[in-house]
Amino acid sequence: RGRAGRPLSQAAGEGGGAEGGGGGSGSREAVERLVREHPVVVFMKGSPAQPLCGFSNAVVQILRLHGVEDYRAHDVLQDPDLRQGIKNYSNWPTIPQVYLNGEFVGGCDILLQMHQNGDLVEELKKLGIRSALLDAEKDQEKK
Amino acid sequence: RSFASQTDGESRLARVLREKFPRASAIKVVDISGGCGAMYEIHIESEEFREKRTVQQHQMVNQALSEEIKHMHGLRIFTSAPKA
Repeated sequence: RGRAGRPLSQAAGEGGGAEGGGGGSGSREAVERLVREHPVVVFMKGSPAQPLCGFSNAVVQILRLHGVEDYRAHDVLQDPDLRQGIKNYSNWPTIPQVYLNGEFVGGCDILLQMHQNGDLVEELKKLGIRSALLDAEKDQEKK
Repeated sequence: RSFASQTDGESRLARVLREKFPRASAIKVVDISGGCGAMYEIHIESEEFREKRTVQQHQMVNQALSEEIKHMHGLRIFTSAPKA
C-alpha cells in the first residue's frame, strides 16, 4: 500500500515524532507562518489537482463547490517533518486539516458538516470570500 | 452485519468511550476498514458536548482515544448533544 498505510502512532506530540528544531519545517514557528500565509490554508495528502486520499479529496471538492480555488495547500506526504509538525501544532491526529484565518477549523468531517449546515458560507463571508453557492441559489430564485 | 458480530476493536473502543464519557446517551463504534481495525467511525451523543464547538467536541474524543488512535490509520468522528 506504500505511503498510504502509515499508522497514526505519531499523533499529537507523543512518541518519536520529530518536533523540529528552531528552523525545521515542522517547528511551531514554521507551521505558524504557514497557517497565516493565506485566509484559507489546507494541509492534505497530495495536491488539489491530485488528492491522494479520499478525505483530502473531500476537502478539495467542498471548497471547489463554494468557488474557493485560491488557497494554500500543503502536501504533507512531501514533508515528514511538516506532517508531524502540523499534528503537534493543532493537537489533532489526522490529515487533512483546514485553517481559516490562521485558526484550525477541523478535518473533512467538520468541513462537510459546516458545508451542510450553512456555517461554511458564513465563515467564508467573514474572510471576505463570497461562496459560489450563494450565486447558485440566486440563479435558482430567478427561475 | 448483525449487532451480535461486533469486532474486538469496536467493543474495546466503545468501552473506553463509555468510561471517558459517563454522561453519553448514545455511543456507536463501527470498524469501516472491513474488520481490520485500521479505520473506525465513531458516533457519540452526550450532554458533555453541549455548548461546545464541533472541533472541541472532536478534540475530546481524540484525547479520550489518544492511545488507541496511535494504532489506527484514520477515524471519523460524529458528535452531538442530546436534543434538549
